Amino acid sequence: MWRRSLLAGLLGAVVACGPAAAAFDRAAIAAQACGGAAGMTDAANAMAAGLVDASADDAKWTVALAGAAIDRGLKCGPGGAMIVRSEGAVNAVTLSPVDGGGGTSPLLSLKNRPLFETVRAAATLRSGATADERGAALAALERRAGSLPPEFFEKAAETEADAGLKARILGVGQAALLNSPDMPKRIAAIEHIAATSDRRALTRVDGLKSDPAYRTDPAFRGAVDEGVASIGRWLALSNALNVFYNGLSFASILFMASAGLAIIFGLMGVINLAQGEFIMIGAYVAYAVQETLRAVAPSLIDWYLIAAIPVVFVVTAGIGVAVEATIVRRLYTRPLMTLLATWAVSLLLVNLMRVAVGTQNLQFVTPWYISGGRLLMGDFIVTWNRLFAIVFAAVTLALTWFVLKRTPLGLNIRAVTQNRAMAGCVGIATRRVDMMAFGLGSGLAGLAGLALCPIYNVNPQMGSNFIVDSFMVVVLGGVGTLAGTAIASLGVGQINVLIEPLYGAVAAKVIVLLMIIAFLQWRPEGLYAVKGRRK
Amino acid sequence: MSKFDRRTFLRTTGAAAASAILPLAAPPLIRSSRAAGTVKLGCLFSSSGTMANLEGRMNFVAKMAAEEINAAGGVNGSTIEVVTSDPASDWPLYAQVGRQMLSETKVAALFGCWTSVSRKSVLPVVEQNNGLLFYPLHFEGDENSKNVVYVNSPPASSVLPAVDYLMSPDGVEAKRFFMVGSDYVWPRTINKQLKGYWKTKGIEESAWKEEYVPFSFSNFQTIVNQIRAFADAPGGKLVVVLTVVGSSIPDFMREFANQGISSSDVPVLGLDMVEADLEGLDTQKLVGHLNCWAYLQQAKGEANQKFLKSWADYVGKTKAPFRPDVAIDPMVSTYDAVHLWAMAAKKAGSFDVPEVRQAFAGLSFDCPSGYKIGMTAENNYVSRGVFIGSVNASQGFDVLWQSEGTPKPVPMSQYG
Repeated sequence: MWRRSLLAGLLGAVVACGPAAAAFDRAAIAAQACGGAAGMTDAANAMAAGLVDASADDAKWTVALAGAAIDRGLKCGPGGAMIVRSEGAVNAVTLSPVDGGGGTSPLLSLKNRPLFETVRAAATLRSGATADERGAALAALERRAGSLPPEFFEKAAETEADAGLKARILGVGQAALLNSPDMPKRIAAIEHIAATSDRRALTRVDGLKSDPAYRTDPAFRGAVDEGVASIGRWLALSNALNVFYNGLSFASILFMASAGLAIIFGLMGVINLAQGEFIMIGAYVAYAVQETLRAVAPSLIDWYLIAAIPVVFVVTAGIGVAVEATIVRRLYTRPLMTLLATWAVSLLLVNLMRVAVGTQNLQFVTPWYISGGRLLMGDFIVTWNRLFAIVFAAVTLALTWFVLKRTPLGLNIRAVTQNRAMAGCVGIATRRVDMMAFGLGSGLAGLAGLALCPIYNVNPQMGSNFIVDSFMVVVLGGVGTLAGTAIASLGVGQINVLIEPLYGAVAAKVIVLLMIIAFLQWRPEGLYAVKGRRK
Repeated sequence: MSKFDRRTFLRTTGAAAASAILPLAAPPLIRSSRAAGTVKLGCLFSSSGTMANLEGRMNFVAKMAAEEINAAGGVNGSTIEVVTSDPASDWPLYAQVGRQMLSETKVAALFGCWTSVSRKSVLPVVEQNNGLLFYPLHFEGDENSKNVVYVNSPPASSVLPAVDYLMSPDGVEAKRFFMVGSDYVWPRTINKQLKGYWKTKGIEESAWKEEYVPFSFSNFQTIVNQIRAFADAPGGKLVVVLTVVGSSIPDFMREFANQGISSSDVPVLGLDMVEADLEGLDTQKLVGHLNCWAYLQQAKGEANQKFLKSWADYVGKTKAPFRPDVAIDPMVSTYDAVHLWAMAAKKAGSFDVPEVRQAFAGLSFDCPSGYKIGMTAENNYVSRGVFIGSVNASQGFDVLWQSEGTPKPVPMSQYG
């Protein structure tokens, strides 16, 4: 809605000022920018209108002023507007250094923020030093093309040196001509908009069906119908991809949380209620690694997630081995006692963390490789932090599978799982194998904590969120198989995401639980049952 | 062979472990003592479970306020002793601990609860025992017990002004709304009232959507996808009204930013969002999202500077595991509550609930928010100012708008 009102405002400004709009009055704009919310709106509109014919120098100045207003570097003092930067204050009109003391920095209102962002991007498009910078500005303008004067893009394309970018600017300019009186231009605009095929494009093109031209002009009607149909097809595909990606992401989280349990509960039969706390400890160790890197090698801090992998695994596996050797070992013959004992361990770990570190969420650096996302097609977006978790889960699955199936340790673990007494008879040190298996399971839980810290809040209680889900997945998958756990996570994740938009998140959880109960009635051993003798 | 065999080792380590775990784990642990010349105030704030990070700090604020009053000579010749507990974010446990505090520890008043579901659980207990509960959160209204002092605002003087602002030309002229909430009484009642309000403004039912998630839900991908799709549909500017609580707030905001939606595209009005929820988030991408409270840390005035300094000093002194440089509305409300109780007790010259309640009428206090908050004989509501905050790049909120004075609180909603 603001787009339309802004457009009206802009047109009004252009008409009112006539040819005089070409003159870029910096002093007036800077004064307006200090004139409260209404003044700031006027300043943004004046800059947007002036940018059509602005010189490169004026455009640079606009970038500086709009940027300062957005980042709250703009200060309004008794001596007029100033821009405060890290290297000192400058006069907002002349950009020459001044003594920056006093004054207040106005806060952009909700309405003014998009105006200033648009102006900054438009000015960057005119004056950015590199083609990349101008390209990024154009990408930001694409969604707001309608809020700039239509001639803006033609002018910007004229001065653009980079041929590829020039074509893109003209394309965006075309899309802005949707309401042009010139019919071929309108049809070209429809085709251009339909090429992006997201829901916003559908709204815009579909809205044209109420246009008078839709009834009178067959070419126009054809273009609109074709556009709507093509966007509709792509949207359906991108929605399906979204569901699949969301399901995969949820599955990767479930799998990471339950992989360790698949070994500890699935293979060893220990009901480990402290599993969630191993996840929490993994995240805390990742935090410790981040803080160490910050102190020792600040330039590498973006890579703490990778650097922490071995540290997290070794530390949590070590804690797991210690828990096994001091507590769990004594209780292998009494599974219900392990339940109580590990619950106590979980309370102890949570409270130790709370006393030692505090209850607040830990502050993690968000490295560039897990920040934000990318629209791949239509409305289908891939967010990097989720992709990180998916890849991490896949690699963990592959490595764990390798350890269990292709190494002597894995062979021993499987032998002890299938028949403890017989394994002992043939000379396997069952006690040592138990300890190693418990350590492996705890280490995997620690890695889950590492993989989850870009997605979840890290605090002492975080572990309790995972414990129910992970037991559910392990039991559903079939106690004792890693493949079962992986497939059960995929199934639960996808079904959850499919149900959620239909009946809501609360119902989705209930329905999935009911389905699991029904499934276990029919197949109590889970998806995959271990063949052979147990116990 | 040493005497120290496995059996003794087990026994001693077992005993040691048990003694280490028990004081931490026993849930309704009330540390109390009976001393002459003291009056006890009870706190019902969790230091474990999903609400721990938010509620935990209020125990310290209550103690800090009590220390201030004690330093000024106490109340009616007695010094205040604050008794804390840990209801472990377990709603029925709030009632149980509350009952113990009132009947066994004999506290003069209770201060506590964050979520409305915990208040609803304590309500019958304070009514049966004729106790007093000071409730420091803004909430859904529609309740008017003579045993509860509602220190913060009902929707008519918090949420509705904020929504009005968003719908006005000064805001974003919001035409459509996406409501996301945790599945319990507060979000559902707030949303019901909002829908009733929008109907009176002539907004069609197709202009809003409603989604609820379980407590501590974190997988917001699908819901944010839905919001993106709804935002791009025709019909005017969309605003998200966020009523999820606890750890779901940062999880939602993170997903929202990662999917590339900025506050200029779709602003989020986070009704329960405070500075503590932004800890650990990259707020650069969240700049411009909103909350509304009766206090924001950037409130102007001397009372606020004094409060912030006392809190920083108190955290430094007690080594409380909370940030010394962050103050949130419920902290200030708890602080106000302790002072209001002390003023009422002083005015009544007694600690008995009926007399203290009589004394509420006409009280006024210089709240750190900069407003003079007050109570009337009409009900147990406190009139507070309204702030709309806007997320800034340094994990805090700037004051985007604030009310002229303190609107008169209206307990019962007229919008459904």
